[in-house]
Amino acid sequence: MEGAVLPIPFGHGAPRRRSIPVSSFLNVPQKALRFSWTPKKLGDPSSRWSSFPHPPSNGECHGVLLASNDVSVSTETTEWAMQDFYTLRKEVETTSERVKELRESANLKHLEENLADLEEAVADSGLWDDRVKAQQTLQALTDVKEKIKLLNEFQRQVEDAETIVKLTEEMDSIDGGLFQEAAGIIKELRKSLDRFELSQLLSGPYDKEGAIVNISAGAGGTDAQDWADMLLRMYVRWAEKQRYKAKVVEKSMGEEAGIKSASIEIEGRYAYGYLSGEKGTHRIVRQSPFNAKGLRQTSFSGVEVMPLLPDDSVNVEIPEEDLEISFSRAGGKGGQNVNKVETAVRITHIPTGVTVRCTEERSQLANKIKAMSRLKAKLLVIAEEQRASEIKQIKGDAVKAEWGQQIRNYVFHPYKLVKDVRTGHETSDIAAVMDGELDPFVKAYLKYKYATSMPTVAEQA
Amino acid sequence: MQPVFKMRPKPGRPVFFSAVPCPVQPQPKIPLHLRAPTFRVTITDLRLWHTWAKNRANSVGSSFLNLDNGPDSENLRRELKWLVEDAIEQTEVVSALNSGKFCDDDTEVCVRASLDDLYELWRQRIEERRPFQYVVGCEHWRDLVLSVEEGILIPRPETELILDLVSDAMKVNEDLKCGFWADLGTGSGALAIGLARLLGSSCPKLFATDLSLTAFTVASFNVKRYNLQDRITVKLGSWFDPLEDVKGELSGIVSNPPYIPSRDIQGLQAEVSKHEPRIALDGGENGMDDLVHLCDGAASMLKHGGFFAFETNGETQCNFLADYMESKKKGSFCSIKIVSDFAGIQRFVAGYKS
Repeated sequence: MEGAVLPIPFGHGAPRRRSIPVSSFLNVPQKALRFSWTPKKLGDPSSRWSSFPHPPSNGECHGVLLASNDVSVSTETTEWAMQDFYTLRKEVETTSERVKELRESANLKHLEENLADLEEAVADSGLWDDRVKAQQTLQALTDVKEKIKLLNEFQRQVEDAETIVKLTEEMDSIDGGLFQEAAGIIKELRKSLDRFELSQLLSGPYDKEGAIVNISAGAGGTDAQDWADMLLRMYVRWAEKQRYKAKVVEKSMGEEAGIKSASIEIEGRYAYGYLSGEKGTHRIVRQSPFNAKGLRQTSFSGVEVMPLLPDDSVNVEIPEEDLEISFSRAGGKGGQNVNKVETAVRITHIPTGVTVRCTEERSQLANKIKAMSRLKAKLLVIAEEQRASEIKQIKGDAVKAEWGQQIRNYVFHPYKLVKDVRTGHETSDIAAVMDGELDPFVKAYLKYKYATSMPTVAEQA
Repeated sequence: MQPVFKMRPKPGRPVFFSAVPCPVQPQPKIPLHLRAPTFRVTITDLRLWHTWAKNRANSVGSSFLNLDNGPDSENLRRELKWLVEDAIEQTEVVSALNSGKFCDDDTEVCVRASLDDLYELWRQRIEERRPFQYVVGCEHWRDLVLSVEEGILIPRPETELILDLVSDAMKVNEDLKCGFWADLGTGSGALAIGLARLLGSSCPKLFATDLSLTAFTVASFNVKRYNLQDRITVKLGSWFDPLEDVKGELSGIVSNPPYIPSRDIQGLQAEVSKHEPRIALDGGENGMDDLVHLCDGAASMLKHGGFFAFETNGETQCNFLADYMESKKKGSFCSIKIVSDFAGIQRFVAGYKS
């Protein structure tokens, strides 16, 4: 096929036009263009999850397109390039609409009024009389400022992209560099918008906090313990990808392999909100490396998630008689007879059966304080889920049922599939999931939760 | 015969005169976590050390546990984690090491001990069963971090309960706060410091006595670290001997005296039997020599309504003491009670001077 020649702006080469029904053209390098193409999603305005096709990332496009058979650029590619631009323009329009809607529904004006009120409160000299309230106010102020900043940032970015589109149309040419920039802006902006929208879904009282994830091996022996270890890695990787600080604070090794249980402390905003859907039993089906005959085996592990509440924010009093506190002690006669660092503390809330164990601190008292704080956090969460207004009202059996609920199946053999049984979301890229790619599941669950619960006014400044 | 030292404390610096030539006062060893991080070690070397140390911990398995109720691999791994926390200043390095993450790197990290020391310290832990607390030079106890070294009994978690018993007694009788208190056989100063913080500034003076010069030094160091040198006076001497001046005036006495029967000591886990000071463990043939001495002394040292709490080796000793107090020292004490520790073992005898 004869190589296409397009009018080149700088006067190189003789213009020999082919009848291409477009007036724009593209500077292309001599290498063939490669596109990651998802044609069914092209130009679909309702799909916000499509991967945006864009030209390869070489920043400078120079090179002269010559009419020779060496050139591997085809007419189709040129048309694709044009489609590219149209797509970009459409995407910019869509995104601009989306930003506008978001700014409206977020009620920017109301937010700014809120900001003024909060700033006034902070300037008040009597603010620090109530330390806890002061910190809440400061946090609220930071939140509102951040929100306004984001909303304005979205606006600015979409306007930048719109400017580029306009420029391109006026210039009658597509500058590769600008095109890339616009495409990049839109891609990032859509990610940010997704995150923002998702954070609006996270309106529970503890969603903003960090999280503690407890993983325990369930039925299945050594295979289950190894599975628990894999889950541990998965959550640590997920946290790293989100740029959260993840710390494995407790790990109890299995005899042959894997772990019996582990706890991860994940610090960062909204960690709890994102991870709360991970609570439940995770089931794996695979050819077990621990089975002598290499048979297919099913194992279970349980994941529990609690908010990481700062100590002084939990001002809930639990009567002492409701608590059973036990300290692990090293056996033998105790006291001067023994010197083993066994400072683990276990606290059980008798009415509900909720138990928390804390081993990582270096003294019994420190472990006791931490365990109490975790216990309160757990009880508060359960109370909130049961819509109980007080811890006293929690129904005990709900605790066990929660843990037992199977939420996700991970099949390694004979086919590869991860399927969330609540939302139905599934993927066959199990390797990516085990490496921490949980976002699609997290998002699916949050949307599902939002859709199935009573819609509450999510605006909390 | 135990020499008696009389002390006349001057503000700031205790001075003592004695009948025997006294040794140069030893310097307390600085705990690892307080030393300056002047040593530079590459991340590669650190990681190699950490892997080696972890393997040594894992290789122990349950062997120590089965041998003499010593630590198992899980205990040792946890101790290693804390050793790393105490030795290395930068928290990112600490958490990366502890979670096994690093790639080899020639970047240098500031460490509070040399690489050779790190190897030697862990070797001592595993091969010689040197107690972890001596290795890092400190013990976390209740809400304190206390310096400890060879010659000092490492404060036990059970002993933390004594402070709870005092706290309960104070709720019943607020006046107890306003008198003199004494921690006998103070060792590291744990109970004395805990008491001072509990009783608050209404307590005019707290005395901490110990026979051992090392204890005197280390307890003084710990008291100073908590800035309590004006409220706690550390005295070198045996039990009540240095406290003649306040005879009959004490509001409260606490003690964790040696209470293990002599013949039982060698059967204990190596960390205790081979490394901790015998003088702090050995209570004589039935373990009760010092406890009985304390009961006798308490009768005359406490004022009326004064409180006491002693730690013992368990049910037998608790019952013996309670009987002793009720019969031999009839009329001296009242409201004697026996309190169990968290393992359910009857551990403490407490009561009041009537």
